[in-house]
Amino acid sequence: MADSWRQVCDIYQRAVTASEVESKSDPETEPFRSKYRARELLREVRALLRPREEEEGSGQQAEAGDGQEGEDGERLLAAQLGLIEFRLGVNHTETEEMSAGEEHLVKCGRILERCRMTEECVSVYIQAQNNLGILWADRGEVIVSQRYLESAESLYFQYMKEVGKPPMDSDDLFSTEEKKLTEQERSKRFERVYTHTLYYLAQVYKHLKQDERAAQYCHTTLQRQLEYDSYNPVEWAINAATLSQYYLGKQMYMESRHCLSAADVIFTKAEQTISPETTKENETEQDRIEFLGQKKAEIARCWIKYCLSLMEDVRKKLEDNIGELDFDIQDELKAQRKRDEDAKEKGRKKAILFGSSDIYDSILAVEEKVECSYPLDFKEAREVFLIGQKYVNEAKEFFQLDGHVSDHVEVVRDHSALFKVLAFFEEDDERRCKMHKRRIDMLEPVCKELNPQYYLLVCRQLQFELADICYEMMDLKIAIGNTLDEMDSHTIKKINTLAQSAITYYEMFLDSLRNPEKKFPDKLDEDVLRPALVAKFHIARLYGKLICTDLKKQLKNTQTSLNYYFFLVDYCDKYEEAIKSVETELELSKEMVALLPARMERLRVYSKKGEPQENDWRSENSWSK
Amino acid sequence: MAPGTKVDPSDVTLPLPCLPSAEGDAIKVFVRIRPLPEGSISGGDGDQGLCLSANSPNSIRLNSKPEPRIFTFDHVADMEATQESVFSNVAKNIVESCMNGYNGTIFAYGQTGSGKTFTMMGPSESDNFTHSLRGVIPRSFEYLFFLINREKEKAGDGKSFLCKCSFIEIYNEQIFDLLDSASAGLLLREHIKKGVFVVGAVEQVVTSAAEAYQVLSMGWRNRRVASTSMNRESSRSHAVFTVTIESMEKCNEIVNIRSSQLNLVDLAGSERQKDSQTEGVRLKEAGSINRSLSCLGQVITALVDVANGKQRHICYRDSKLTFLLRDSLGGNAKTFIIANVHPGSKCFGETLSTLQFAQRAKLIKNKAVVNEDTQGNVN
Repeated sequence: MADSWRQVCDIYQRAVTASEVESKSDPETEPFRSKYRARELLREVRALLRPREEEEGSGQQAEAGDGQEGEDGERLLAAQLGLIEFRLGVNHTETEEMSAGEEHLVKCGRILERCRMTEECVSVYIQAQNNLGILWADRGEVIVSQRYLESAESLYFQYMKEVGKPPMDSDDLFSTEEKKLTEQERSKRFERVYTHTLYYLAQVYKHLKQDERAAQYCHTTLQRQLEYDSYNPVEWAINAATLSQYYLGKQMYMESRHCLSAADVIFTKAEQTISPETTKENETEQDRIEFLGQKKAEIARCWIKYCLSLMEDVRKKLEDNIGELDFDIQDELKAQRKRDEDAKEKGRKKAILFGSSDIYDSILAVEEKVECSYPLDFKEAREVFLIGQKYVNEAKEFFQLDGHVSDHVEVVRDHSALFKVLAFFEEDDERRCKMHKRRIDMLEPVCKELNPQYYLLVCRQLQFELADICYEMMDLKIAIGNTLDEMDSHTIKKINTLAQSAITYYEMFLDSLRNPEKKFPDKLDEDVLRPALVAKFHIARLYGKLICTDLKKQLKNTQTSLNYYFFLVDYCDKYEEAIKSVETELELSKEMVALLPARMERLRVYSKKGEPQENDWRSENSWSK
Repeated sequence: MAPGTKVDPSDVTLPLPCLPSAEGDAIKVFVRIRPLPEGSISGGDGDQGLCLSANSPNSIRLNSKPEPRIFTFDHVADMEATQESVFSNVAKNIVESCMNGYNGTIFAYGQTGSGKTFTMMGPSESDNFTHSLRGVIPRSFEYLFFLINREKEKAGDGKSFLCKCSFIEIYNEQIFDLLDSASAGLLLREHIKKGVFVVGAVEQVVTSAAEAYQVLSMGWRNRRVASTSMNRESSRSHAVFTVTIESMEKCNEIVNIRSSQLNLVDLAGSERQKDSQTEGVRLKEAGSINRSLSCLGQVITALVDVANGKQRHICYRDSKLTFLLRDSLGGNAKTFIIANVHPGSKCFGETLSTLQFAQRAKLIKNKAVVNEDTQGNVN
């Protein structure tokens, strides 16, 4: 008896090894060779179990023959037969024979149905349900899939509530007494089976467009991986960092920060496993260092986005109708934050958190370095900015321009965006200007280097951004100039240079839209429609802002300005669908098209008379504000 | 025209017989229906055996139930289409624009057995290079070198060309060099001037179509193919054959250098691309190894909403294939997808998904997401 049982266990083990280990080294020409062999072995095991079932009506342990043990044996046999069916089912699905796989899995469920709440059967039953869920999802029937998985989920809960004992693992069902697993190990494995259920459910909810639920299941999956110590640290950290980006979208900064801090902590664990004095010859170790470097930089980039979103979000709340800091709202938000903090003192707001106590403490330590509430003044904004900048430098260590062009440019653009939003909090115009100058200094060299044949989109983005910065700086210079009694020639020169640079960059962008024959498209593609029209509009404004005393030149600039305004009006006449994307710009352009000819007439009169002309820029600016 | 003004741009560029001017660089989709395999026509299937038919030169009718569905593409070639007509409809233009300095890409997409290899290479087990049924690739080589030679004759010593070929395979998200079977695990990098490239891939210089074809067939033999009890031989990898064309022209002390790439891509059988997002609902399995739920990331990635102008960073990069061909999928390039379909009723499911893929591909365009800030500009 014992010998024959040992033989059964042995065949079963061979099947598992063939399916899980040997199949990995199957030749390309016969990818399923070991799977097919495993299938044969499983059938053999089933054949060996079956006759006993008929002869004795019970399993191998039913020797004593008293009623209680007979029932136990029966359950054990059911579990064993179920497991074989389950394995056959998985085997068939793995070899792309879906219907056969389904039959086996359903049969497994049927065998176990009656005793699914027992410690012998529950784990196998849940696994079979999981796989039926996968199978039906593969067939595109997500609802069916959801039903199987949710039934697995509720069985887990019911079992834990009513039985609670660590159930047997599939490895227990075919092993000799001396190899039985410890209770602790059994419980761990069972929890992993359930973690998989959650993970599949996360996918099902995603497919059913229940994003919030899907995210919640992802979070729980991560949480459980940590709890039952079944994770790959790098992968886990990357998953958590990605999840933080979901929370950013929902403006849940506390959760987002928690994910990122946890990612940092767990990632550090992974880093510690490599020795720093690795030799250069060891190529795989080199690869691993490179891999870790990249992942570290990826997490840094998630942090950058965190800082950026936090600042941009609050900026939207704080700005008034012309995009400046509104002090009333600022005071209001500060008062509100004070109230929130007091409330928090009393009953701390609970978010879903990661980790057991020791990991949790490390995560908290990381969290303390960054705020998750909105920065409300320059000092607070600067703190967030500095953290963001720190991660910019970290990301750039891996994403260097040479070799990682697009990633590098993205990081630099984020850096620029951080400066931009920081400038919003700055009250001094001169210092604001300097911040924007920093942005130009970081973007311009990259923009000059890139080959637009391969980086067309990146180039366009850089050109447009550079144009915008010059434009903004020009506005700031004008504002500074307006505070003076008389604008000095230096300031005027500066304003004109900035306006010229802005025009140049907008034109570069517009030129990139031209077709191979250098012709500007008659009809703009939808995705470039707004940027192109806005560029035209800004150029028109810029020509209007150029300061010069020469009346002829002034006349010429005004004419150019008018032409650009006219382009916009004309285009929207021709293609009415464009109107909705540039409504404000169109309205202003129409006004200008009506207004400018009169102004030009005035200029012509002056220039004929040869009278000195007062600086026109001042009147135009007062109109614009 | 003054004698010195030879650098007139219209002189430098090649004559462009039919370059579509205002069409932009959107991806074009060409659907080809293969004929039924011999023997099955006379079989009992008859007309009921067909699940689709070409309606017109640019639409196809899929006999689905209850309502038939009509798909529209740039071109639909029915069973009688010749190799020559496929070439002139798809590849001719692309080869011409490559000569003018544009990048060009031709993809073949479709399930195993839908005729991808026949379309791209020609009949199997024969010398495809001279065969009358040779496919798009050999014909492209011929045409490319025909254009190069014509150009050289016209310009004399003033113009020179350099063509280099590389051939790589992407299998299980790893890159292999098909021209150097000893290599493994190559890396993708971006060069600031030359775009995306495979570090260390062999680049073979070729001077004629025959040489290019030799390089191709050598690499083709190194591809990974597999067979299962359900499927006969099918390719499990993507193969990318790249010809880099560099031209140098001396004109009054000015040296004008142009460089472009022609990518010819044979995608893995579409029925095998389970991991690609195009497949829709499939669930990622955690597999037998309990320690890793690597695919969890893909669910989370899908949750991260980048749509409404907000920027997020997603740690999981696109697949190697899309990274390598980024210029072809919405970059500065001319791209054609040949979607191959099998007309048999048994293939209905795969055919439907191929047509759906092809239709989605048509929507891929040069996405110019220009950073712009509306606040504070209209002041």
